[in-house]
Amino acid sequence: MASMIVASSNAKPLSPLPIPSQSPKPRIQIPQIKIPSSEKIPQKLLKLSSSALKSLSAVAVTSLAFSPPSLAAEIEKAALFDFNLTLPIIMVEFLVLMFALDKIYYSPLGNFMDERDNAIKEKLNSVKDTSEEVKQLEEQAAAVMRAARAEISAALTKMKKETQLEVEQKLAVGRKKIEAELQEALANLERQKEDTIKSLDSQIAALSEEIVRKVLPVQ
Amino acid sequence: MNVLSCSMNTLRGLYDISGVEVGQHFYWQIGGFQVHAQVLITSWVVIAILLGSAFIAVRNPQTVPTATQNFFEYVLEFIRDVSKTQIGEEYGPWVPFIGTLFLFIFVSNWSGALLPWKIIELPHGELAAPTNDINTTVALALLTSIAYFYAGLSKKGLGYFSKYIQPTPILLPINILEDFTKPLSLSFRLFGNILADELVVVVLVSLVPLVVPIPVMFLGLFTSGIQALIFATLAAAYIGESMEGHH
Repeated sequence: MASMIVASSNAKPLSPLPIPSQSPKPRIQIPQIKIPSSEKIPQKLLKLSSSALKSLSAVAVTSLAFSPPSLAAEIEKAALFDFNLTLPIIMVEFLVLMFALDKIYYSPLGNFMDERDNAIKEKLNSVKDTSEEVKQLEEQAAAVMRAARAEISAALTKMKKETQLEVEQKLAVGRKKIEAELQEALANLERQKEDTIKSLDSQIAALSEEIVRKVLPVQ
Repeated sequence: MNVLSCSMNTLRGLYDISGVEVGQHFYWQIGGFQVHAQVLITSWVVIAILLGSAFIAVRNPQTVPTATQNFFEYVLEFIRDVSKTQIGEEYGPWVPFIGTLFLFIFVSNWSGALLPWKIIELPHGELAAPTNDINTTVALALLTSIAYFYAGLSKKGLGYFSKYIQPTPILLPINILEDFTKPLSLSFRLFGNILADELVVVVLVSLVPLVVPIPVMFLGLFTSGIQALIFATLAAAYIGESMEGHH
């Protein structure tokens, strides 16, 4: 095909050469280029440099020589606008493809995407709502903390008082005990003093006699 | 002369590789009717690619999408966006039609440019993009016509036909003509673009086999995508136009 294109494009400047040809098909003209009858060539075209003419015709000839002989016949049959049963078959194929793609692609994936979009939207909305909730919770937490602190301080003061009371009690008890012991000890001492004094009294007479005897030995 | 024939020889070799056969068809006979087998074969491949990839990607959708699922979600959102901008709020039921138009044309066009169809040899003609054949494009364009008539009639009943004399009855012939020009322009635009695209690449490859055709090939991929988008967008626009109220 491409060779045909080249050939025909090359043949164009030459096509008026042979004759005002009667045949409408350009590929029938082309073989005639090989034998251009010099008498029929218009004078105008003869003015072309002969070398250029030669090369042009050479191109035409070579390209023709390479194209298979059946090519001309094949291209004559070329049917660009050849309508036939292909058209309705393609229509049916297209409709089948449409329904199949709808079943396996557009509908499932579309629904899936819509559902996901909705889910994401819901989640976003719920997140916005929970910001309120979070505030409430924070307030609650703060209240709980305050209550706990108050409770703790109350308990602390109560415990302080209790322990102080206890300590004081214990202190008082200790003091009493010590005082009692002191009293006892003092009483003991007093008694011992008295005892000692008594015993001293009883001994005083003997002692004084003894002293007298010693002082006054000879009587 | 030597140089010339030598280069012709090399070119000849390249033609064999790059040759495209315009208007050559590989015919099958089905019940006395002829079909273009190459178009059917490539369309089956395209349909298989679409269904297979979609099935694999969407089989088990994840909340956090994987790479392929993400791609298919992107494509679906793109299709929905096209439908929504052209049709309006009631675009939902038309997503499969618009989407399939876009995907089928897009994958067809790119398959013509990217898949190595030449490996498979046919007795006659050759495998190429299905949109390379006028039958395919006309089939799609006719389906579009049917679709927008159906959309209008199901939305407004017979009142749909009042649009033909809408601004003024003088425009009646032009309005009727529109119903013919719409599928005509749709089908020929796609057909011409894809065919011309492949031809340009082939001719360029045959003239300059290296480097130079590459930008044109990329341009071809680009136009292929654009054509698919244009076809789908116009179809959606026609449907939206026939559904919209005049008041």
